Amino acid sequence: MHAVPPTGIGLGLRGAFLAQIAAGAADGRIAFVEVAPENYMHRGGPVPRRLDTIAERFDVITHGLMMSLGGTDPLDDAYLADLERFVQRCGTPWHSDHLCFSGTDGAWLHDLLPVPFTSKSARHIATRIQRARDRIDRPMAVENISWYLHLGEPAQTETEFLSEILDRSDCGLLLDVNNVFVNAKNHGFDPYGWLQAIPLERVIQLHIAGHEAWDDTLLVDTHGATVRNEVYELLAWVIERTGPKPVVLERDANIPPLEVLLDEVAAIDRVYQAAVARWGVRAERTKVGT
Amino acid sequence: MTAPTWPCIEALSIAIRQQSADSSLRANPAGFLQGLGVSSADADAMLKHGAERILLYRRLVHNRLRRATREFIPRTVARLGKARFRMDFARFVEDHAIATPYLRVVPETFVAWVVEPWRNDPAVPAYLIDLAHHELLSETVKHDWRGGEPPTGLPLALEYPLRFDGAARLLHYAYPVHRLPLDIDDRTEPVADPIALLVYRDRTDDVRYLELDPFAAATVQALMVEHLPVAQGLRRACESLDTPLDDERLATAAQLLADLADRGVMLGANPV
Repeated sequence: MHAVPPTGIGLGLRGAFLAQIAAGAADGRIAFVEVAPENYMHRGGPVPRRLDTIAERFDVITHGLMMSLGGTDPLDDAYLADLERFVQRCGTPWHSDHLCFSGTDGAWLHDLLPVPFTSKSARHIATRIQRARDRIDRPMAVENISWYLHLGEPAQTETEFLSEILDRSDCGLLLDVNNVFVNAKNHGFDPYGWLQAIPLERVIQLHIAGHEAWDDTLLVDTHGATVRNEVYELLAWVIERTGPKPVVLERDANIPPLEVLLDEVAAIDRVYQAAVARWGVRAERTKVGT
Repeated sequence: MTAPTWPCIEALSIAIRQQSADSSLRANPAGFLQGLGVSSADADAMLKHGAERILLYRRLVHNRLRRATREFIPRTVARLGKARFRMDFARFVEDHAIATPYLRVVPETFVAWVVEPWRNDPAVPAYLIDLAHHELLSETVKHDWRGGEPPTGLPLALEYPLRFDGAARLLHYAYPVHRLPLDIDDRTEPVADPIALLVYRDRTDDVRYLELDPFAAATVQALMVEHLPVAQGLRRACESLDTPLDDERLATAAQLLADLADRGVMLGANPV
């Protein structure tokens, strides 16, 4: 039996504040935690024990880094076997990974590398999502990544590509609104137009994060800064249309004290609650209209 | 040679891994990509923002892997120098396919790979290999998935092997690098003085180091590393030191094993 998904604002768990969260520092201030299984699998000592303590306090959603769904090497069976054990133990309602490749020819590059926006690539990825889902015996969601170049001549727009994958694999979308913003700025498109072109009914979770400008023409998704207002607005736009969802604040670089992150969670929650209220009004109007 | 099925993916991977890719891409970006089987239309798309965007991925990957490694061996990298570390790391990324999906295993892979080049390079201080292993071990022992096993509950018996904590390791250093100051800016150079060290995780998850004299090291080697039954292991230890197994040695061994049991390293007899 899979867990009932949480909603509200959660925090991506990181080593920098793992002990504090295990000790109760975030009790009552976050709705759930999101964990990267790779940080806990094959690991002993204090870290997995702290995660067990945290899992007694909060719902856990798993979000992986190394499935390499867009990769050309076969899916790593040993990795998937370990992942299956981990997700079962956590009781996560679904497991997500990225629309990217992470290595080739047996060499892991440990990053989120872009994939070609073609139907061939979409079919390849959709098949791998289904295989992975069967292997780990959990529903799957995929996350849109920040990409800094087209990996070949695009035969589809990103939204067409994404939609084809979601349809073919029948999986959920982990919508990263910061990645939408970063891509829109780097490639010169309207983020709201992008959001209108994707199947919002597939969104089962959201990510929100900060980014940094590396030069005048390039934003990089570093997760190393506070969330910008424009990204808050994208989040609100989505929640107003989808209703309550789990939203994760991610921070991986320049990590501030936990208290600062928890204040940021509270700020996101205010935007989120207002958007949920507007979604409720919309839903009511729709009901009256029918 | 057959054409690659996913030429753009393979080309980006090569641009990230190959040491010469940086200069090749800057000199002739389209030629570089087309030489790897990328069509001219695909190459144009990849180069829409210039070669810099491809090199950005190279930078992101190398930075992430180097940062993860530096976090595990900070004093080694500080003593080696950033420029040399970057150079060695770039060679490592090209030469050695990182075969693990776990980022935290990359530092261990790098150190295993770099031992040979460092050993053969007089510009690298000889003690640095020991220091890299030592720093690495602090992390790997702390987070080893083994360790913390319960005692067997069985008393020591001469005819049986012993069980030891799964995270414990016996190390042999040519230099006593474990005595170097922890200050990252310290540049004290250790004097060669071979030493054996037992590294283990205590009950509060702290990593501890125990210097072993030659007899203790030989005993731990025989009993913990080679899993020999106690009597055979003690004979082996004495043979290796060319010394008789007399009452004094037996008493010393008993004291050592009692100490290791107190530390939670020796867990009792292991008849299976």
